[in-house]
Amino acid sequence: MSGAGRLTEPDEALTVLAGEYVLGTLPRDEAARVAAEADADPVLADAIAAWEERLAPLLPAVPAVPPPELLWPRIASTAFGRARRQEPGRGPFRSLPFWRGVAAASLLAAASAGIALLARPPAPVPVAVLAPPGAARAAFVLEAARDGSLTVVPIHPAPVPAGRDLELWSLAEGAHVPRPLGVLPSGGVRLPVDRLPAGRAQILVSLEPAGGSPTGLPTGPVLYGAAIGRPE
Amino acid sequence: MTTLADAPDWFMLVAFCKGLWPSMDERGERPATPDDPVETETTRLLRSCAQGDQAAFRRLYDLQSPRLHGLALRLLQQPALAADAVHDAFVQVWQRSARFDPSRNAGEAWLASLLRYRAIDILRRRSREQYGTERTEEADGSPDAFDQLAGRADGKALHRCLEELEEAQRRAIVLAFLDGLSHVELASRLRSPLGTVKSWVRRGLLSLRRCLEA
Repeated sequence: MSGAGRLTEPDEALTVLAGEYVLGTLPRDEAARVAAEADADPVLADAIAAWEERLAPLLPAVPAVPPPELLWPRIASTAFGRARRQEPGRGPFRSLPFWRGVAAASLLAAASAGIALLARPPAPVPVAVLAPPGAARAAFVLEAARDGSLTVVPIHPAPVPAGRDLELWSLAEGAHVPRPLGVLPSGGVRLPVDRLPAGRAQILVSLEPAGGSPTGLPTGPVLYGAAIGRPE
Repeated sequence: MTTLADAPDWFMLVAFCKGLWPSMDERGERPATPDDPVETETTRLLRSCAQGDQAAFRRLYDLQSPRLHGLALRLLQQPALAADAVHDAFVQVWQRSARFDPSRNAGEAWLASLLRYRAIDILRRRSREQYGTERTEEADGSPDAFDQLAGRADGKALHRCLEELEEAQRRAIVLAFLDGLSHVELASRLRSPLGTVKSWVRRGLLSLRRCLEA
């Protein structure tokens, strides 16, 4: 092979290593090693950043595609749940809420959900919104009171067809069968603490025949949902 | 019987804390286009994220997630994996925003890099788990990406310098960058020996740097 392939200068070796890392051609373990080294080595980090900048103009050629609606709650759940950055006492939301809104969007996400910050409320405080996918506005808000009860407050619910009712359900984490919490009147309803499961659960709203599901299980589509958590 | 767990259209939940996250109405008011000074806004939001500002993180997500998700789809080709990569990348953004250095990188390039590294890691992990299976070979979109470069202000220099490379070097670099191909995959895609491909990448990188810094 000609000499062109040989890297004689250390600077060239660094440039190539950083470039290959940024291109992504390195084997997985080697890429991990380079990333770890760059954390401690500003020269390598500079070389990597320089390649990121040099090649970045190629990226806009890739068309943007909006991510699925459910992705943000999953991200917020992981990011805010684990790596809570908010300092104690900062802002209106302090530690140890009684009810906490959980930023989760699906059973999958709820299973690994982190919990958003919320103050133990002197007055009822909204902890979660019930909203359909892609909604611009919340349908209902769940408000927690000091006694642990939750109140479902209508905000912008979709109109309920004549002859139908909305029904509330709780689904405890790990459970497969929801428990009925009764019909949800258009003006909202209060759910006393003894009717709500401890720990993590979901509050769901389904569309049912007038008077609620005749079977004790949801028969219509689930329109809204929220994940909540309560210390056991 | 269909239980709720099987409900096809699952619901959306947004934890609702006053002032914690921006209202839904604020979402996406500023589309990310190449001509828009998104870097400034993105960089500003990244700085706020480093201060623990969750609302800024949400704005950043609204601003940048379509671009990053598009990139993840391009690299991973499977929606579920692409969503995983975007998830991992944004969690890293939140955790590592304090390490973001605007004097090194524009915010946009920093974000794209985080996403690419996550996506490429997923690619490599999968190719090892599914040893022997090859990713589907699709139409090679890299010439398009290369041509589009010339039309953008920030792409002219890169375009000119890529053009100065040997054809094989250019293809190897652009393919690796946009499709996340490893050396081995590049060799198979370009139907050339591994050593030759590695050499194309190495020499291409060095020529490219020389040209861009000239």
